[in-house]
Amino acid sequence: MPQLEAPAAIDYQSETYKDAYSRINAIVIEGEDEAASNYVRLAELMPTHAEELADLAKMEARHKKGFTACGKNLNVTPDMDFAKKFFSDLHGNFQVAAAGGNIVTCLLIQALIIEAFAISAYNVYIPHADDFARKITESVVKDEYLHLNFGEQWLKANFESAKAELERANRENLAIVWRMLDEVAADALVLGMEKEALMEDFTIAYQEALQNIGFTTRETLRMLTAGLAAAAA
Amino acid sequence: MGWCSGLNSCASLFVPFVSLSPFNPFSKEMFGLIGHSPSLERTHEIARELGLPECADRDLEFWCSAPPQAVDTVRVKSATGQEIEGQYIDSGFLPEMLTNNRGKTAVRKVLNAMAHAQKLGLSVTALGGFSSIVFENFNLSQTRLVRNVELDFARFTTGNTHTAYIICRQVEEMAKRLNLELSRATVAVCGATGDIGSAVCQWLNARTNIQDLLLIARQEDRLQALRDDLGRGKILSLEESLPLADIIVWVASMPKGVEIDPAMLKKPCLIIDGGYPKNMGTKIQAPGVHVLSGGIVEHTLDIDSRIMRAIGMVNPKRHIFACFGESMLLEFEKWYTNFSWNRNQITIEKMLQIGEASIKHGFKPLLLDPVG
Repeated sequence: MPQLEAPAAIDYQSETYKDAYSRINAIVIEGEDEAASNYVRLAELMPTHAEELADLAKMEARHKKGFTACGKNLNVTPDMDFAKKFFSDLHGNFQVAAAGGNIVTCLLIQALIIEAFAISAYNVYIPHADDFARKITESVVKDEYLHLNFGEQWLKANFESAKAELERANRENLAIVWRMLDEVAADALVLGMEKEALMEDFTIAYQEALQNIGFTTRETLRMLTAGLAAAAA
Repeated sequence: MGWCSGLNSCASLFVPFVSLSPFNPFSKEMFGLIGHSPSLERTHEIARELGLPECADRDLEFWCSAPPQAVDTVRVKSATGQEIEGQYIDSGFLPEMLTNNRGKTAVRKVLNAMAHAQKLGLSVTALGGFSSIVFENFNLSQTRLVRNVELDFARFTTGNTHTAYIICRQVEEMAKRLNLELSRATVAVCGATGDIGSAVCQWLNARTNIQDLLLIARQEDRLQALRDDLGRGKILSLEESLPLADIIVWVASMPKGVEIDPAMLKKPCLIIDGGYPKNMGTKIQAPGVHVLSGGIVEHTLDIDSRIMRAIGMVNPKRHIFACFGESMLLEFEKWYTNFSWNRNQITIEKMLQIGEASIKHGFKPLLLDPVG
């Protein structure tokens, strides 16, 4: 039976760490900013839920401030150009869906994929974070579960009419997530986050959300592997 | 800070705990089984058998990042007529993770599967195959939090009490069948200091009249403590003990099998292969050497599941691992507790208690198809 190696101590002030952190921190800040904008847009598309969505948007804006403070705490300047490019495909797909009034696709991208991505990344990050960032991330991840829950509830209530669009949107967007994970894997590892753990945690959160909405285990497996196949293509 | 990357083991104080499923899909109590494929190679067949072609033909990397899945519903009818249902959760763990030095991955698999079982609201779940070994070896009882799930260990059992009981009964019954008189027999227990091994030693010491007990394990201090506790037993190496043994109880679990030269064994010799994975039957084939799959129970009635066939059980409708049987027995008896938990806590009283339930509900030790 192999033994587990004790984790190497992380030097949060090393140039290597700060270099990787400049991109990861930027992704998190951009992700929260993107989420806030997306919930504002969703509030326009879903007027009966406008108040709730406005609250979610405010929460995301608060998260952005928190993560900006994490970067400042380590004297790191976030590489926002990198982050904007990192999110550009998902951002583009959300904008197209919103312009077409496709609420289901918008919810899948923001309330399921981005939220599950955030939850998994934050959960994997927390045990390796510096003290300042850990406290902030712990409080953020609690909120993100609520956001995932909003999307789940609405899609569950509209499951039959939304199912086909969800499957299509999944195929088109999940592949982007796998590519995003690949892009960030090396930097994440510097921060103590292993790619396979990120993938597993994302898949758990995303699959659970899909099952909560109404998909069967088999359907969710098909959806997850469809995303993988599209990423490999 | 925990070493189990990805498991929010110590920092989720602000996350709302989830002890039951927010989406419990079951309207009644269900037992759980956490298992895994015996090898990467077998995953292809298992995936097809379970109707999950998406998971077939995948490599080790895929399984290292795959989430746990509830892939089969198991229905069992007791000899008393009582019927229960359970869920089989494939943790995605593979023994190759241990041989490839992916201990952290193995840990994540087991804890994620446990969190999944708990979120599904399963009443009591057995940790099958390597799951309990990984849990014990890596001291996972220190990890109560998996993301936003606070693990409730009362909902899990290693199933080791039932396994140990069944192995002891297999020794007793097979000895009769092979005309091996226990009062003149030397019994070697390989893996004697493990949870199952030490329980087997206790039983053999207290409830049989075996002539000699040979204790084999890697850790000398634990062996000494066991011998002191038993007040008997010879501490020998594997090589020294095998030629002396009439009966070998193999309860060491290793990701890689061991090679035993049948020429060095006594004839006749009974080997109860209670380790995991079970592959001695195919490795040791010689006249006079009888190899029996250890820790397997045969049920009086058919068990409705696909997983036992998928994982290659010889008689999948009737045969199951005794550790899985334990969670079924706990469900039948409504003993919603971690009946087997923590290392070396198994007592003869508990073995008798689970043994009585085992008989009552129609389980018996596998005896009929020894290999070899």
